[in-house]
Amino acid sequence: MEQLTIRFKSFGQWLESDARHFQIIAQVIFLFYGILYLGWETYVINVFFAFAGALSIQGLFVALKLAPAHSLKSAFISSLGLSLLLKANAPILFFIAGAMAVGQKFAFRYNGKHLWNPANFSIVLLILISGNAWISPGQWGSGAILVLIISTAGMNVLSRVKRLDMALAFLLTYALAEYSRTILYLGWDHEVLFHKLSNGSVWLFALFMITDPMTSPNNRKLRILWTILIALASFYVINFHFLYAAPQFILFALTPFVPLIDKAFNGEKFFWQKQIHLIPSQHD
Amino acid sequence: MIKKIIPMLLSLLASAQAFSFCGFYVAKADATLFNNKSEVILVRDGLKTVITMSNDFKGDVRDFAMVVPVPVVLKESDIRIANRSVFESLDAYSAPRLVEYYDENPCMEYKMKEEADYSMAFTTAPTSTMKSMNADFNMGVTIEAQYQIGEYDILLLSAKESTGLRDWLIMNGYKIPTTADEVLNPYIKSNMKFFVVKVNLGKLKAGNFDYLNPIQISFEHEKFMLPIRLGMANSTGSQDMIVYAFTRSGRVECTNYRTVKMPTDRKIPLFIKNEFGQFYKNVFERTWKNEGRNAVFLEYAWNVTPNWGMKCDPCVGPPPMHNELSQAGVWWLNEGSNVFFTRMHVRYEKSKFPSDLTFQVTPNNENYQARYVLTNPAWGEFDCEAGQNYLVELSERRKVEVDELFALSGKNSEKSYNYIREFDKHKKAQPKKNDIPALLWKWIKTHGPKGGAMLLLLALTIFILKRTAPAQKMAIAH
Repeated sequence: MEQLTIRFKSFGQWLESDARHFQIIAQVIFLFYGILYLGWETYVINVFFAFAGALSIQGLFVALKLAPAHSLKSAFISSLGLSLLLKANAPILFFIAGAMAVGQKFAFRYNGKHLWNPANFSIVLLILISGNAWISPGQWGSGAILVLIISTAGMNVLSRVKRLDMALAFLLTYALAEYSRTILYLGWDHEVLFHKLSNGSVWLFALFMITDPMTSPNNRKLRILWTILIALASFYVINFHFLYAAPQFILFALTPFVPLIDKAFNGEKFFWQKQIHLIPSQHD
Repeated sequence: MIKKIIPMLLSLLASAQAFSFCGFYVAKADATLFNNKSEVILVRDGLKTVITMSNDFKGDVRDFAMVVPVPVVLKESDIRIANRSVFESLDAYSAPRLVEYYDENPCMEYKMKEEADYSMAFTTAPTSTMKSMNADFNMGVTIEAQYQIGEYDILLLSAKESTGLRDWLIMNGYKIPTTADEVLNPYIKSNMKFFVVKVNLGKLKAGNFDYLNPIQISFEHEKFMLPIRLGMANSTGSQDMIVYAFTRSGRVECTNYRTVKMPTDRKIPLFIKNEFGQFYKNVFERTWKNEGRNAVFLEYAWNVTPNWGMKCDPCVGPPPMHNELSQAGVWWLNEGSNVFFTRMHVRYEKSKFPSDLTFQVTPNNENYQARYVLTNPAWGEFDCEAGQNYLVELSERRKVEVDELFALSGKNSEKSYNYIREFDKHKKAQPKKNDIPALLWKWIKTHGPKGGAMLLLLALTIFILKRTAPAQKMAIAH
């Protein structure tokens, strides 16, 4: 592929050119909100180690010309994801998490696509292997304003990456399942349902994690089916086996199948940066 | 409408019952530090849970009753009577604490003394009432098991539907609110059984018990939760609950509500020394309100493995020993594993805590304790230059302490003004120093490393974005 160097006329134009900019802004806001307002015990050293791990490995691959420079933005997003979600006893685990998240994108590929969502990969493996890592599903609390902030930021990013359908499918399926069980079957009142559905972790998962365009099917119909499957599986494991980190593990188990699905089914391929199509001139 | 209300009110006054999470409690007439406080010990490892429910009840034993939803039918060997002293020692050990330090006088040769002041932040817990039981009636209610353990008569019930269960309980002399069936229904549908306890008067008299002992139940099930909704059925105000959790690996945290640490390591004025209980009560109330009234508060988290290292700093009471831990339900003491102790304080009310509390065990082994610091000023003369500087620092620090008092507890004291100026009489007139580096350092210290690090992160963000921006290479697809 040829490469053209384009100069942007304004900062706004540059901002609009890559959806990851908005994701970065959103996640930085969440991180600040969580640390300063919700009083998380996030040690800043852990955040730095996560960034160091991810950016150093990605930087290495960029230097070796195995990845374009703009891929650093993806590494940045993975680091933010880890800072938001992962909790561990030692800062070094955050460095390892960052390095693993980026490393697996190069180590495990099929059909030109990496197999796992980077942050998800590190979180699940560290929880399983290190015995010193965990996630806190309750760290956001529940509430209308929280949901408003997350959904506003999420809708913005998702409309740019054309994955809004996944988020809506997940939230609707999950809400319907919860409604059926909590209100119709168990007989709790509406406040209980609202409390369950306004949990920040659920919304963040739906709007920022499963909707990663690089690890979700390209074909729209498949995508929605895929999401419904994840939502139902999460609902089942959380409500019947009481494992609150279920969504992460389910996603980990299912994303490796995405390249296979993409090979079998047609769909619009995704690029982070806007594509320019050259149309051959009629006067040639 | 009024005709219905008055008898209801009268009956409410007569029984004066407030339905708490594991039973019926009567509000105490005298003011306790935290009203309607219940205490629970939770021990969890793998799928096994051991719950010990405190029973600090004072009143007519005939009025006592406890109804707790449990996931399985408990065997007789799963139920035992625990010792009340366990709660007292766990409370004393993990309660928020006050530390006292002594300044040294720079003009004299003094060694710094460090002493711990042991102040109890809590007093006694509330009471509960009991009801005597009459004959049974069957209303879709099955008595799965029946035991007589210690001074208690225990039933394990399963029910088909909530109105039947409610009627059965009322018929058998348990005065539960008529709206309880709404809350019982979800537990019945979740296939939970009901652990129902009353006092066996004969056994009580024979055994010469002065008070009711706590009950300890153990079972294996994936669920790890506390059914607080049941206890909120009839109560109007908020209730306090202290949870003492023990695990092998690390902290226990709540998964459906935020877990927030209580402020710790804060310097407070000396005159709080004798009012620490009231001070902490105010701090808790203010923090609880600031966090939106729907959070769980962490007051202590520490590795308390017996014979392994320091367990507190400072220690308020002797650390839990082998037998206290096994009394509390820890069963792995002989296996050489660690024991991690988490103390959580929840103040819940119906509108803010609609769901039952669910928990998870995490490997988080960070040590934490809620701790407040008193610093005694130095003694003697302050004639030397270092002494004069010390006096300036002292009044600065006292200003900070008074500010902290207000920030933490929301209350000011009339002693504050004199407290700050108490040592001014020792100061000699001196020209004011305009020490810019010192002021700058003070600014950094007050705003903390967090703010600085956040700014750095922001700078890094902007840097990365700019770095990958200006001359972007766009991919061209043919």
